[in-house]
This record gives sequence, structure tokens and C-alpha cells, in this order.
Amino acid sequence: MKNEAIISIQNVTKRFPVGDGEFTALKNINLEFQRGEFAGLVGPSGSGKTTLLNIIGSLDSPTEGDALVLGKNISELSHKESALLRNKHIGFIFQVYNLLPVYTVYENVEFALLLQNIPKVQRQKMVMEALEWVGLASMADKKPDKLSGGEGQRVAIARAMVKKPEIVIADEPSANLDAENTHAILKTMRELNENLGTTFLFSTHDEKVMGYLDRIVHLRDGAVEEDEIIKSKTTNQ
Amino acid sequence: MIQFLLKGILRDKSRSILPIIVVSIGVALTVVLSAYMKGAFGDLIDQNARFETGHVKIMTKAYAENKAQLPNDLALLEVDKLIESLDKDFPEMEWVNRIRFGGLIDVPDAQGESKGQGPAAGIAINLFDEKSSEAKRMNIESSIVKGGMPQKNGEAIIGNDFAEKLNLKIGDEITYFGTTMNGSMTFQNFIVSGTIRFGAAAMDRGAIVVDISDAQKMLDMENGTGELLGFSKLNIYDDEKVKQLADKFNQKYVDDLDEFAPIMLPLRAQNNLGEMIDYSSYMSSIFVFIFVFAMSIVLWNTGLLGGLRRYQEFGIRLALGEEKGMIYRRLILEAILIGVIGSIVGTLIGLGGAYYLQIVGIDISDYMDNSTMLMPSVLRAKVTPELFFIGFIPGLLAMVFGNMLSGLGIYKRETARLFKELEV
Repeated sequence: MKNEAIISIQNVTKRFPVGDGEFTALKNINLEFQRGEFAGLVGPSGSGKTTLLNIIGSLDSPTEGDALVLGKNISELSHKESALLRNKHIGFIFQVYNLLPVYTVYENVEFALLLQNIPKVQRQKMVMEALEWVGLASMADKKPDKLSGGEGQRVAIARAMVKKPEIVIADEPSANLDAENTHAILKTMRELNENLGTTFLFSTHDEKVMGYLDRIVHLRDGAVEEDEIIKSKTTNQ
Repeated sequence: MIQFLLKGILRDKSRSILPIIVVSIGVALTVVLSAYMKGAFGDLIDQNARFETGHVKIMTKAYAENKAQLPNDLALLEVDKLIESLDKDFPEMEWVNRIRFGGLIDVPDAQGESKGQGPAAGIAINLFDEKSSEAKRMNIESSIVKGGMPQKNGEAIIGNDFAEKLNLKIGDEITYFGTTMNGSMTFQNFIVSGTIRFGAAAMDRGAIVVDISDAQKMLDMENGTGELLGFSKLNIYDDEKVKQLADKFNQKYVDDLDEFAPIMLPLRAQNNLGEMIDYSSYMSSIFVFIFVFAMSIVLWNTGLLGGLRRYQEFGIRLALGEEKGMIYRRLILEAILIGVIGSIVGTLIGLGGAYYLQIVGIDISDYMDNSTMLMPSVLRAKVTPELFFIGFIPGLLAMVFGNMLSGLGIYKRETARLFKELEV
């Protein structure tokens, strides 16, 4: 599964206009992520973590350089193609679970599949499977306001994973969770990473999250400070 | 996906209730006002047609020019022959003679001395022929306050207010004073068989209704009539059809310089009713436009508020890979669903209101005491099949326009800021 570059960041620079000048959020970044990696971008606020995740997630494009995701150059994608890439191949997990409050747990997870026009019977199977992965099959009919924080984030993981994407981008997924729930969702994600071969890319500065990562890319002031490979991480931590 | 959106609409009360209320109110008002205008103007036109203009009216050209003066000296003669020809040319129409006449009504006391007098606004119609629908058409039987219909020649019905003023009782004798069509003076006694109130102030003042044969005899108008009215046998006034019919008839006499040659006037060419018909249609369009415009603004604002509230949802959808255009189209689809729901609710409420106004109506008789215009004293709405869909025009259009405007914000959303926005 590994040793296949799924994300390739080549000399990427990202600048934003600020007033009359510019702010450089990313400076000549070069990185490569292999299929099935469980990696994280770590660094203080303003280090460029979210900007880099935006580019990898095809939500933004670099000012200079190339960002190849699943072989597609993000700079060359139209809005429609970017949306299609996210729709089919990339799952997102946010700091706040961002579940749609009027829909049930089942429907929140199902929504990702509705966008792909998957037939109902197949959808049903996939949603229940995803809810089983995160241990929430019995709560399928509950509304988000009836869930605890950890359960909400597990539904968000199921929503990101239900379409079996190649890449999952998780932006500070533990920011609103206590230690127990943080460990629980990370174990779940780690299992999915190992069982499904999904590449997970985190943005975090949470030590607990870092403890689960195979690789930590340290960013500072928009540049890679250190690319740390940590071996022999397991789900039993 | 539609099912999914519908669930969201039904469950998210703040997303659906306010727009549905706005649409329902607008639609209900459109339906009620359309029904009321249709009914009021329809009644006005119908009443004019039944009492005065017919769907078409034939007079001599000279009579037509002075018809306000009821110039029976310029009346149509040899009417039987004319009706025979009309029946042949226009079998879809029914033709009826009417003579309108003015004069004086004198009420004598037991000694034969005059105890009271008043101006007469007489109308002579065919009361005795069983095949004639004139009495029914003019609602005479149901408008009788006291007594009954004339049963034989020499009997008349007079206005109830006039009868009360002169303390007349059923069976009392009255004398009509007037002029014949040849200009000589005429007197005719009538027995009061009943009193009547038409409900139209212009008709009720000094009304006297007699059989046409009495009037022909009294006014020396053997086989003559002041006016020959044509009514569609289906009793439906079709403005365009009637105009064609009149054009066809008049074509025959266009070069006839005889002032006694007949001329046919369609309803719209009489009593300014054409302007009334156009005004009614114009006002209906204006109402629909105003409701579409006003509701669009309200729904635009509702959409903007909804858009702010759903900012997070749209962000998630963008992140999940839904295209901006698709979100916009689905927003419009939601608007259509809400518009349809609101329009159905509003139409039902509006139909209920229209039906109530059709039964009860609004009594304007207090404002009509001095009116010379022939119009009903109770204005009622009319429930017609078009009311079942007319509300959908403002309901759907306003909702869709409002959401199209407010939804444009989706295109301004920067996906690059989604993570930051969704952190909140």
C-alpha cells in the first residue's frame, strides 16, 4: 500500500494580499505523502498548517509551485473539478464536528453519498458500515444535539470515511474533546487507516494526537522546520 | 436528494415556517382579492347585462345616439321579423324585447283625487310567456318584497320604497302618465300586484315593471321595442365573441343611412363597461405584480437571514465536494418546494376566504343611496377555477426570485476560508 506518492508538494509558495502588501503563508514547501500514511502537520498558529491542508484538500491553490493530489495538479483544476476531487476522494474532519443539526446521524453520514448519486440500497449498506466502524450504528436515528462531543466527532469521522476516500484531512480534530474522547477517536481513525489504507493528514498541536502519528511535519513561519518519521506506531498506544 | 431537502425543510422550522407564512399570506391575499375583483366586477357586468345592456343590444341608430333619454319615438319596429332573422344568423343567442320608459305615477285616493305622485322609471319585459326567462334573468320573483308577480295584463310591480312612501297596498290602483312613441299623451291604470327591491339604487328609484304587451299598447308600439337585447344561451359573456358578433351584424347596415336602421352594441360599448372590463383585468395584473414584488423583497430578506443561518451548512457541503452551482440550484429547488407548499396552503386559505365573501359579500348599500350607476349593493367574491392556480404565480415566483437573489452569496464564498469559518 505504501511507497506510492499520493500527495506531492513541489516548491509550493502561497501568498495572500494584506492591505497594500502581501503575506507569505507558505514558503517553497516540498513534501510527499505516501498512500496509507498517518501523518500530521504540527506547528504554532500562523505556521501555515491550515493553508497547506487547504491546498491539499483542493480548497485553495498555490501561488507558485505544484501540488499534485492523486496525480491531479491542484492549480490546474477548475472549481468543478476541485469539487469532484473532494467529493470522490477526500474526506474532511473539522475541529467542530459541523453536523447538520436537522438531520439524524444516519442522514448526516448519508449526505456525502447523496452527492455521489449512489443508489439507496447501496447507500444504506455503506452508511451502516461506516457507523459500525465508529461504533455508532445503534445511534443512527439520533439527532446531533443528543450526542456527546466524542460521539459527534465520531459521526464526523463516519461522514468523512463513508465514501472510502483515499485521503482524509483532519483539522485539529481533538480541539474540542477531552483526553478520553481524543484517544477514542484517534484509535478509530488509526484502525480505519490500517484496515482501509486511507491516508490521514492532520493539522494539530495536541500532544495526544502527535502520539498516534507515523510522521510529523513541523512547520514554522510557512516553512518545513523538520520532517520527522516515527516508526512502529500501533493502535494499542 | 429532493427527499433529503424536503426533510430539511419540514424539520427546520425556521427555514420553512417564515417563508411558508409569507408565501401563504401573499397567495391567500392574491386569491381573495382576485376572487373579490372578479366577483365584484363580474357582478357589476352581469347586473348591467341582465338589467340594461344585454350581452349585446340592438337599437335604431337614432335611439342609440340618444338612449339616455329613452327616446321611444325612435324605437325599432317590425321586431318579430328582425328576431326571426337574428335567430337564423345567431342561433347561439337568445333575443328579448324590452321597453324602457319614463313618466309619472299618480296614486289616487278613494275619491279619485291624487294623493301622491312620483317619477316612474318603467321597464317592460315579457312576463307572461312561460318560455321567457326575462323575469328569472332580472331576479324579479326573488326581489319581490310584498305581493307577487303580475298574473294578467293591467297589473304592475312597483318599487317597494316608492310604495311605502305613498302608503300603497297590494291591489291598489295607480295611474301612469306619459307619452306614446308618437308623442301624444297617454294614461294607463295598473293594479299593484307586488312591490320590489332590486338591490340596485339606480333601479329601485321609481321602478315600475309591467308586461311588454301592456307597454306596447300603452305607448302605441305594436310590434315595436325600444331595445332588443341579446344574451348568450350559455349565459357566459365572452368579450371577444360578442364583439365579432356585433361587427358581423353591423356590417350589414354600415352603409345604411336610415337613422332607423338597427345597430348592435356589445356590452363593452355601453355604460363605459369596456373600460370597466379592461380596468378589472389591469387591476388584477397589478395586484399580482405588487404581491410578487413585495413578497420577493420579504423573501429575499428571509433568504439572506436563512443564508446566514445556513452558512455553516453550505460550508460543509462545499467541503464535502458539492459544487457551488449545485448548492445554488438545490437552494432554488428548496425555494420551489417551499413555494409550492406555501402556495397550496395560501390557495386553500384564500379559497376559504373567497368562498366566505362569495356567500356573505360586503354590503355597500350605504354608499349607494345617491348613485346612478347600476351596480349591486352587495359586492361578492366569485370562486372560479383560475383561483386554484393564480396564487401559484406570486407564490412561486416571489419565493424563487427572493432565493435567487439571496443565494448569490454562495458564489462569493471562498472555499479557502472554509476551515477557519467552520471552526466557529
